[in-house]
Amino acid sequence: MSAAIAVDDVDYLTQIKPLLSEKCYSCHGVLKQESGLRLETRSLMIDGGALNPGDPDGSELLARITADEDERMPPAEDGAALQPEQIKLLHRWIQQGARAPEETPPPAPTEHWAFQPITRPTLPESSGQADHPVDALLAAKRVAGNVRPVGPADRSMIIRRLYLDLIGLPPTTEQLRDERPWEQIVDDLLARTEHGERWARHWMDVWRYSDWYGLGQQIRYSQKHIWHWRDWIVRSLNDDKGYDRMVSEMLAGDELAPTDPDAIAGTGYLARNYYLFNRTTWLDSTIEHTGKAFLGLTLNCAKCHDHKYDPISQLDYYRFRALFEPHQVRLDPIPGVTDFEKDGLPRVFDDSVDRPTFVHLRGDPMNPDKENPVSPGVPAILADFAAPIQPVQLPPDAFAPGTRSHVQQAAIQKAESQVESAKRELAAAKRRLADQPAEEPGTRPVDDPSWSVTDLFDEPAPELWRLIGDGWQYRDGALHQTKSTRQSQMARLVPPLPRDFEVDCVYTTTGGSTYKSVTFRFDQSEDGKYSNYVYTSAHAPGPKVQVAYARGGDSTYPAEGRKAIPIKVGQRYHLRVAVRDRLVNVWLDDQLVVAYQLPDRSDGFVSLSGFDATVAFDEITVKALSPDSELTAAGNQAAPSVDPENAVIVAELKLASANAALESVHATIAADNAAYVASPSPAEANSLARDAARKQLQATIADADYRMIADAADSKKLKSAKDQKSAAEKKLKELEKAQPDARPDYASLRGSKKALETPEHKESDYPAVYASVSTGRRLTLAKWITSRQNPLTARVAVNHVWMRHFGTPLVESVFDFGLRAEKPLHAELLDFLAAEFMESGWSFKYLHRMIVTSEAYRMSSSTLTADEQTRTVDPTNRYYWRANSKRMESQLVRDSLLSLGGKLDPKTEGPSIDPGPTAMRRSVYLKHSRDQQDKFLTMFDDADILQCYRRSESIVPQQALALSNSKLAIDMASQIASRIVADLKTDAPSDFIDELFFQLLCREPTDAERSECAAFWEAMSKLPELQSRDAADLETVIRSRLTQAILNHNDFVTIR
Amino acid sequence: MLCGGLGFGSLALNAMLRRDGYAAAPGSSSASPAWSPPDGVPHFAPKAKSVIWLFMRGGVSHMESFDPKPALTKYAGKTINETPFADVQDPEKLKRVRVVVVNDANGQQRNKVYPLQVGYRKYGQSGIEISDWFPHLGACVDDLAVIRSMWTTDDNHGAQVQFHSGRHMLDPRVPTIGAWVNYGLGTLNENLPQFIGMGPRFFDKRDGHYLGPAYDSVALKVDPNNPLDYASPEGDVSAGQQRLGFDLVRRLNHLTAEQYPHDPELEARIKSYELAYRMQTAVPEVIRFDTETEATKKLYGFDQEETRPFGEQLLTARRFAEQGVRFIQIMHGDGAAGAWDQHSKLKANHSKLAMQVDRPVAGLIQDLKQRGMLDETLVVFATEFGRTPGSQNSDGRDHHPYGFSVLMAGGGLKGGIVHGATDEIGFHAVEHPHYVTDVHATLLHQLGLHSHRLNVPGHKRLEQDYGHVIKEILV
Repeated sequence: MSAAIAVDDVDYLTQIKPLLSEKCYSCHGVLKQESGLRLETRSLMIDGGALNPGDPDGSELLARITADEDERMPPAEDGAALQPEQIKLLHRWIQQGARAPEETPPPAPTEHWAFQPITRPTLPESSGQADHPVDALLAAKRVAGNVRPVGPADRSMIIRRLYLDLIGLPPTTEQLRDERPWEQIVDDLLARTEHGERWARHWMDVWRYSDWYGLGQQIRYSQKHIWHWRDWIVRSLNDDKGYDRMVSEMLAGDELAPTDPDAIAGTGYLARNYYLFNRTTWLDSTIEHTGKAFLGLTLNCAKCHDHKYDPISQLDYYRFRALFEPHQVRLDPIPGVTDFEKDGLPRVFDDSVDRPTFVHLRGDPMNPDKENPVSPGVPAILADFAAPIQPVQLPPDAFAPGTRSHVQQAAIQKAESQVESAKRELAAAKRRLADQPAEEPGTRPVDDPSWSVTDLFDEPAPELWRLIGDGWQYRDGALHQTKSTRQSQMARLVPPLPRDFEVDCVYTTTGGSTYKSVTFRFDQSEDGKYSNYVYTSAHAPGPKVQVAYARGGDSTYPAEGRKAIPIKVGQRYHLRVAVRDRLVNVWLDDQLVVAYQLPDRSDGFVSLSGFDATVAFDEITVKALSPDSELTAAGNQAAPSVDPENAVIVAELKLASANAALESVHATIAADNAAYVASPSPAEANSLARDAARKQLQATIADADYRMIADAADSKKLKSAKDQKSAAEKKLKELEKAQPDARPDYASLRGSKKALETPEHKESDYPAVYASVSTGRRLTLAKWITSRQNPLTARVAVNHVWMRHFGTPLVESVFDFGLRAEKPLHAELLDFLAAEFMESGWSFKYLHRMIVTSEAYRMSSSTLTADEQTRTVDPTNRYYWRANSKRMESQLVRDSLLSLGGKLDPKTEGPSIDPGPTAMRRSVYLKHSRDQQDKFLTMFDDADILQCYRRSESIVPQQALALSNSKLAIDMASQIASRIVADLKTDAPSDFIDELFFQLLCREPTDAERSECAAFWEAMSKLPELQSRDAADLETVIRSRLTQAILNHNDFVTIR
Repeated sequence: MLCGGLGFGSLALNAMLRRDGYAAAPGSSSASPAWSPPDGVPHFAPKAKSVIWLFMRGGVSHMESFDPKPALTKYAGKTINETPFADVQDPEKLKRVRVVVVNDANGQQRNKVYPLQVGYRKYGQSGIEISDWFPHLGACVDDLAVIRSMWTTDDNHGAQVQFHSGRHMLDPRVPTIGAWVNYGLGTLNENLPQFIGMGPRFFDKRDGHYLGPAYDSVALKVDPNNPLDYASPEGDVSAGQQRLGFDLVRRLNHLTAEQYPHDPELEARIKSYELAYRMQTAVPEVIRFDTETEATKKLYGFDQEETRPFGEQLLTARRFAEQGVRFIQIMHGDGAAGAWDQHSKLKANHSKLAMQVDRPVAGLIQDLKQRGMLDETLVVFATEFGRTPGSQNSDGRDHHPYGFSVLMAGGGLKGGIVHGATDEIGFHAVEHPHYVTDVHATLLHQLGLHSHRLNVPGHKRLEQDYGHVIKEILV
């Protein structure tokens, strides 16, 4: 600003233009010219009749911004009125003659640099050393900008940089001394599985990876098992799947390859946006982040009104929405898994194919413009290379997942096992009726009154216990269950035991989440669906001891079997359980707490487990119950099924019901296959459908018959069973009366589980068979995004990759390549990389190789040798005359600590695991949702699940505390120290110090650093509290503390 | 780069070392060339230095707390349509609400008038009516500004997010008021986090959002041994060893600075280690009450089992405010929805919860006053919405976003004043209605900040986000 301008002179560029830009340009500028008026330059304002320099009162501009409501600019619906100070400012500016520099009006939006086709620029003449195209392009700019690059970094330092950038793990000292050609090291790293894990996390930031979360068991956001999508990302990167293919699979894998679960897993990208409560919010997220992530377009700014800065109309927004309107989310079955709680593939599919899309007036979903349904399409400004939308015919596997053979087989198996189980129950009931106490003599594997098993849990005893599931550990003379989950991990007693027995167990609930229960099961069936059990729960609102039982997988917790007792975490308890026939007595610390009569017994196992609890079992004795033991009679009335005659009737009905259900499954499968897979004659298909309908109704009736007797005591259940029966009988009659050529309705086998569209729905509301034609809208979108003619896709992607290697992007606003993004300094480099990227088949590995083999990538990050001129001209390194230091992302900090400490679990892929200090897998595998994030990771700017196109790199005191005080850092410091010492040939502190620097900071220490560390060693050895230690012990402590200090060094968490 | 702390807001070093990094990053290049990040200096002379923000999760019944409505008792059992106030249910007047969960069991109109479940009386010289569940707050009513005309637009507990951020659950997440305060103001004490959170947090766990994690509150427990994450070594490391370790790190980092001159991140990290080391001792010291007199502790209700937990948090809050901490945010009422959510058993539960907070909050205000701190400390006592004049489940009230009350005290606000009013049955805020961000604007104003000057390029704030200063309650 010229010194000649008086202080109260208004400056157009800093004071007026920003104001007009904010308030006026969107309607009176290059995007729109309401009333033919543009206000972007002084001449335009004068020519348009809005401005009369020197005469505020004669300027329409001022008149309109101060006018009454109807006339006021901006109109109320487009923005707030100008503040009085702002009006005064404009007044003064006009009065002062409306001084403004000559400016050319902005060009038409179609001229915007980022909207121009990507062409490979001609490389500048080689200036000698710059043979690499990236260097040649950068060098040309540097010459023009009059800056000079610094030299390369030390080899070990750039090897560290390369390892951290490409695989996210630090190199070993051997790797630091790798003398092979650079390109060879690069190729080796790109070929490693860890590369995919490292870069998957970057893309998980951009694509907003989040594990599911909600309230209790209600899924509100994302989906269960969304980790399949994470694994898809890791694998796609490791396989170097083209980015075009990746984008296509994420948006439309189901349309692109309808029977290929490996491609469909990509649609986890869309499934992640699932939101139970509000479809518009769900789609808004999908639209916003599809725009930002792939296109660098802020489509979201056009939701309520036309975009204020970019040529995107509100209609464009809703046409874009229409592309996604039909899709819904479901879990597809994984072969071998029948329980969607355990596993399932989250994916999308076109469901509501005819649902119209309307513009929401002013963005209000309660106010749709129903007169004018919107057709699907891409933003008009870039629509000329969009392909027409072609519907996709789906195969039966895709639209009728119940016809997949593994689903059919699983259904048959389940029905068969229910028949088997019913048969066993019937046999047991008949035995009881025959008044044989519990068993026919000799049928029990054990009939020995002296039978007894004791275990002090001092060491593993596989002959006694089969440990099922994770988390079991023997230590400190106890068997620990260290994982608090609801999974079915258990310690199952191997030797068979007598029917009447007692258990004495001493144990401690050491922790856990909600219920904190310790469970002692008996009579447990192989599939776990039948068992009788006793448990203690330390759940704060209602701690208790409870006798319970599971039948057919459903648990019953009778009030008569319960005693409220303040069970506490951390307290040792002695539980004794005695079982004689159906009578159970329970003592806690020698006090009788419950006497309860079970409805029935069966053969089965004894097992110990935790439910939401970690437990330490100290000792246990299981032995035959002495006939002399006096038990207390149960307070409860015999359960309804205890009348032995009745029990046989019930069991017979149950078996009949199970048999009917099995027949119904077979008939359903036959009908489904006829309807969707094979193409039999219509008559045959009809007849099979009729058979399925009939068998289903018969199964319903058989089930009602069973329940009418089994639940006879419960009037409510009885009525429901009766209603069920009469409704089914009525339908059955109608079915028999119907025209023989009518296709009767029956319920197809359900293969997948659709995510609820809203909380009022139930899963059973949804049909088992979906639309057989997908609209093809998303596939068209994917083709348009990945078209070589799309000017944005490749530019946006290479900008992300460049930023993660160089620390700064070529285009600063990584998710906004719209009109507000100025043409970048390195536009040619961006275009060169984008063109090469597409040319290479959208290969990320090609792009990485291109970038990291440049000289620019290998430069030093120090300014020490830079010349004064360069530093002054370009202090922020826009010209890439040196490398930028980067702060490690949180995942790198944690993974590096574990890796250097030798504790990193190299297991890849699979379900996300609980975060916390005991997790040893790479951070990419830790649960990451609103409700679950690793505490250590959050200290170092973990990815925001809502939006994370660029990680923050904060420097905060909590990071210092985490690296100084966390168990992870303290433990790993000791591990690293002892590893180094084990490998060293000498005990000399100086050797340790040298090696420590080399391993952790990947360079030799300077002399000054050596002497600081030596002084530390000296000072530590004099600490009074360490004087009692012997020399070796003392040195161990010193080495650990020294190691931890170097882990806290700035250059450990920094990629230099 | 973003220097500062999780909850450290704009430290002096933040302003010193801030470059064009995070705050200016997305889409900022040309939108507003005149913009620059705040320098930590208030925009104009402030009245208050700190805010103690108390938030009752679940929804406190305004009629049974600070806005008693005898008409409810008079018309008890009648439908609202049978009373003279039938027009409150005019659909036009109800349309501002944005429903998150369509057809949810809660958040519905409740038409059968439910009588007041507690008596009330006039308190103080101002004679402001307060319910009998809050006798201690009643006793200091002459220090309170009672705002009886709040409204919001979420009829479910997303309103907790809305009360803190000004945005509805269906909108994008934006910074909360505590984050903005720390974004706008410099620190007064470099040894302590400037934005502290205590008590059961609502379901949006973040405050900073696009301002960055440095503006998230630091979660704190009233436990001197373990007040915040990683406050002390989770392993066998003595204080002496740690001091030597920190010292070595500092020396080595300074040596590295010679190799990497002009490296602001390195300078910031050196500073952050100094801060961390001081914070380790400074934070636990604030949480120790051994220097407090028995009389003070009693004031906060330490002598009663029901009042002690909240009392401890409030005494901690005062001690942090004393140390210059800018924003202390305390939530009361746990559970997913918040304990004050009395769809049923309103009398039993509200009376119990009121007892837990009434004495401690009154004690806080008295204590601040007797120490001469009330003038510069602004206390807010708020909740996400009120409860319906009509009954739910025979003995409860439903969510009510159309009219509810908050209290403010100190920080240059008038005491003994009622501002705004709901209609006779407490349905709509009819006199001086205030959207939730008006509370934000008012406290920002008292802290010397223009809410309109708190923004970051690339993140559009709507007019409603800024709110309006409630001028009538300013001294």
